[in-house]
Amino acid sequence: MHDSVNHVIFGLDPTWVAVSLLLCVYAIIMAEKFNRAVLSLLGAGLMILCGVITQKQAVAGIDFNTIGLLTGMMVIVAISQKTGMFQYVAIKSAKFVKGEPWGILVMLSVVTAVFSAFLDNVTTVLLIAPVTLLITDALGIKPYPFLFAQILASNIGGTATLIGDPPNIMIGSAAGLSFYEFLVNLAPITPFIFLVTMVCIWFMFGKGLYATDEAKALVMQFNENDALEDVPLMKKSLLVLFLVITGFTVAHSFHLEPASIAMFGAALLLLLQTWGMDLHDKDHAYEGIMAEVEWTTIFFFVGLFVIVTGVEHTGVIEMLAHKTLELTGGDFNATAGAILWVSAVASALIDNIPFVATMIPLIENMAPTFGGADELVPLWWALALGACLGGNGSLIGASANLIVAGFAQRAGHPIMFLQFMKHAFGLMLISIAIAHVYLHLRYLS
Amino acid sequence: MKANLVMTKELVVCHPEQTVFEVLKVLREKSFRVLPVVDENQKILGAVNMLSMLSKLVPEYIVKGYLKSIPYAPDMGVLRKHYKEIIDHKVIDIMDDNPTIVGENESLLSVTSALIAFDRFEYAFVADKENVLLGIIASSDIVRCLSKFDPEVLFDA
Repeated sequence: MHDSVNHVIFGLDPTWVAVSLLLCVYAIIMAEKFNRAVLSLLGAGLMILCGVITQKQAVAGIDFNTIGLLTGMMVIVAISQKTGMFQYVAIKSAKFVKGEPWGILVMLSVVTAVFSAFLDNVTTVLLIAPVTLLITDALGIKPYPFLFAQILASNIGGTATLIGDPPNIMIGSAAGLSFYEFLVNLAPITPFIFLVTMVCIWFMFGKGLYATDEAKALVMQFNENDALEDVPLMKKSLLVLFLVITGFTVAHSFHLEPASIAMFGAALLLLLQTWGMDLHDKDHAYEGIMAEVEWTTIFFFVGLFVIVTGVEHTGVIEMLAHKTLELTGGDFNATAGAILWVSAVASALIDNIPFVATMIPLIENMAPTFGGADELVPLWWALALGACLGGNGSLIGASANLIVAGFAQRAGHPIMFLQFMKHAFGLMLISIAIAHVYLHLRYLS
Repeated sequence: MKANLVMTKELVVCHPEQTVFEVLKVLREKSFRVLPVVDENQKILGAVNMLSMLSKLVPEYIVKGYLKSIPYAPDMGVLRKHYKEIIDHKVIDIMDDNPTIVGENESLLSVTSALIAFDRFEYAFVADKENVLLGIIASSDIVRCLSKFDPEVLFDA
């Protein structure tokens, strides 16, 4: 890789330039003073302008499978959320338990976890948190325990599938792991982690949740059928979601990448949504949906991939991989454990997306030590479990956490950083301990 | 025709320290749609109208979230509860602090476009360069002016 390094400006050492850029971008992202997409694109631009890599190398480093999968799913979700079907499910689940506060907390957490497994976590909480606040307003109780449980549920649910959380999308794409493999390897452990987390939440908040009979009756007055705003569009959305998820499951057998399926699904749903409209209305609808795609996230990924490619080209990541292996004595079990725990703590404190972007080439570089890329699979599961579940460790651990905190603030019940961490960090450690036992029993010896 | 020829000049105003209760009383008794909020030098600080007051009664997670409409939710007494809470607040807490303001020498065309562009309420305040309130123009004033179409009045100014 070193031979591809070009003419670095002022004769500076490309390694130092690349590493400084990476660390600066990390630090400024953590300070949260600037938009992270702008920062990552600036970093990426400087990586090329300083001569660490060429534009051609930069473009080759952008993982278009991740970008395509994210964009495709964003379009599908932007259309489906307009139908009100997610609110329908949330209200139906709250009424199913007859308005009992603890029952509602569990049901809304289950709904959040299941949705998070198939939609991205931020979208899930954007859909569920406002309904939760309406319901807790009706119950006349504080929303904190409900929102707290939902944050944890969204990150646990997101761990279960390839499309549940951006780290999984990146890992799946880089390591060539299919949707089916994620489902078979990660989904079995998540219900258990969810269950243990819920039991802990019961001990923390369960006894304090009380609502009067009048308040429960008020919840039963919610009419979920009125939430369904566009039933024909809902049927089309459900059809496309079904096709896309089926497509993900069988994609590997047909040598198809998830991005192709997600983008095809997005295009199909855009077509179905606007079927029968006149041309002007169609254009208007397309533009509306395109505006809802989170371009900030997409461009953040693009910039980040370029920055990490730059650092990778200098050979620093390869060196870090060797250092890690020296520390673990080249022992596979110890390496898997280290990846799991370091990823968890790092993801609780910094954005897990840039962290995973850096860890992927680091783990790839361990292939020669452990006998080839195929032998690395348990390490990928360790990274996925650590990075996704680690997001529960603090309020800044995942984007979804911050979105929920924003809603809580607007509802007049702000979630404090330390208060959240006091409740959540221990639960995160428990979930990682469970994940470690699972990894040990299933893959390590 | 310019704004200062169409505007209403006899104005009832309110001050930021007055309570919401007092101002709502004036709005109701005089059947006004809006009251300008001004400081002691008559400089415009904001506007109070029924909608700006109502917008403070609906929880923010509804108006600023994915819940654009909530046809499935019962009333829950939220509005009444918040109404009781804000009635003793000062006007400055609930006022719309970004009302549509036009210059006294702006043309009727410009004033009408401003009303449409800002698209929130059917009025604009007229102010001088120091932001001192001179008058108010409602959309009905513009229509009234047009219905009395007199080419000399409309075009010579």
